[in-house]
Amino acid sequence: MSASNPLPSDPLSTASGAPARGVMGVLTKYWMIFRASLVERMTYRGDFFLATILRFLPMLTTILLWDAIYTGAKAKSGTTQLGSSSISFSYNEMIAYLLMVNISRMFSSMPGLAGGIAREIRDGTLKKYLLQPIQMLGYLVSYRVAHKIAYIATTAIPYALLFFVCRHYFEGHVPTDPVTWLAFLTSLVLAFIVGFYFEASVGMVGFWFLEVTSLLYIVMTMNFFISGHMLPLDLLPTPWSTILKSLPFQYMAYFPAVVFLGKIQGAELARELAFQAAWALAFILLAHWLYRRGLRRYSAYGG
Amino acid sequence: MILAPLKRYARLLGSLARYTLAREMSFRGNFLVKVSVEVIWLGIMLAFYRTVFAKTNAIAGWNEPEYLFFVGCYFALNGLIETLFLENCNDFAEMVRSGDLDFLLLKPIDEQFLITCRKFDWATVPNVLMGVGLMIISLIQMHWQFDLMRLLAFCVFFVCGLILAYSFMLVLTSLSVWLVRNQNLMEMWWLFSSLARYPKEIFNQSWAEPLGRLFTYVIPILLVVNVPARVMVKSLDPWMIGFMFLATAVAFILSRMFFMRALRSYRSASS
Repeated sequence: MSASNPLPSDPLSTASGAPARGVMGVLTKYWMIFRASLVERMTYRGDFFLATILRFLPMLTTILLWDAIYTGAKAKSGTTQLGSSSISFSYNEMIAYLLMVNISRMFSSMPGLAGGIAREIRDGTLKKYLLQPIQMLGYLVSYRVAHKIAYIATTAIPYALLFFVCRHYFEGHVPTDPVTWLAFLTSLVLAFIVGFYFEASVGMVGFWFLEVTSLLYIVMTMNFFISGHMLPLDLLPTPWSTILKSLPFQYMAYFPAVVFLGKIQGAELARELAFQAAWALAFILLAHWLYRRGLRRYSAYGG
Repeated sequence: MILAPLKRYARLLGSLARYTLAREMSFRGNFLVKVSVEVIWLGIMLAFYRTVFAKTNAIAGWNEPEYLFFVGCYFALNGLIETLFLENCNDFAEMVRSGDLDFLLLKPIDEQFLITCRKFDWATVPNVLMGVGLMIISLIQMHWQFDLMRLLAFCVFFVCGLILAYSFMLVLTSLSVWLVRNQNLMEMWWLFSSLARYPKEIFNQSWAEPLGRLFTYVIPILLVVNVPARVMVKSLDPWMIGFMFLATAVAFILSRMFFMRALRSYRSASS
């Protein structure tokens, strides 16, 4: 960037006549970078707004569909609650749940992570981590955290709008005690870790098979259902809900949402959080182990 | 006289389909994966549908086999859209941005045809078959009495629905000339077509009724699957038949005008 090394033709210096120095200079420099980045983002403003509007539509149909389902369930058996005997949802709770899984997925989804790792293995760019004093997974985690923060910041406004429009579904379901909030935030952070290291592990498969994008597509499609993104796992018939709740995928969508709604509390909450942490640790170890094993097979293709 | 160009386009479509099949078959593994993802997706839709109907007898007036027919109809129609148009339209934004569109505009053939029908996505053909399979199973489940008129009406409205959906996709595609797209059309289409995925009767409640009317009469996306499915397994208002034809014709003509307008605003980016 020329911004750090002002030349005579640099707009930073010509704008104010003489090159600005000291604190003001630094401030101007970052202001210019900020403005340039903002302009860059706003190039796509029309598209961004259109996408934001379209993004409301699936939520709209979801709300209406579940309304019809609850009406049908009431006509059939007079019930206003759907779910299992231990965890069930009223209509409002169902909509609140389906909105909250979006928050879970905001933390646990990792677009491009596994595909990126597999590509670096395939085309040989992986060797940059071997030549530099940097560890691949560590680098990718910090990169991903920065991206997640930027992403959450840019989608905050549309999401705030969505939650504001849907606020009455949350009436009486927003946690009031700090313990639930703390547990919810913890579950989101752990959801990030589970999501990150799970996908990284899938990407590591690239050491053994050149083509993993296909595997990835299948895993991601399955994940939409088995993580509880589509509907709460408690609605499934008995063997399935038990099976899916013992798998790690529920911690990427289902678990943080039910914690927020206060469906799991007390000793059970503590136990479930411990399970989530254990899965997070397991995937961390798995990803590192696969990486070490994989490097032994790695033959650094490419220039 | 009008038949000669029509024959030419049909022949061209055939050669394009053969060409893309040959290409697809050189990456057979990839083809199999794409198909299996679609099978999994169908499995998820069915699991959802089974779970829900364990709790209720009807959704917005559609009972279990009727709703299954609706799902099959949606799956077949959407599969056909994906096979014929989705990938082509998805490429359009990138062609506008890179300026590669120039090469297509130079060809001695209708621009809309070339841009939206260039590639044939064989991997989604099984979706159409799976959708048809679901429809047949549901008809057997509901002991459907064979009725040739209904079947013909269904086929006609299915084609109308296809044209209607295509028109909406063409408008979304054309927008990228002005919007300088960075979201991909596939996602946009998925979001937009979510409106067509469920019976339109779910809009029958006080606050949603204006929206239901909006998406029936002004932006008639709700008609796409609802009308063909309804004509086959339920009854359809006679005036809705006329409206469906009208909506299809108007949407097709308007979307073509919009697309041509977009092409005139296209400024080549490469030179």
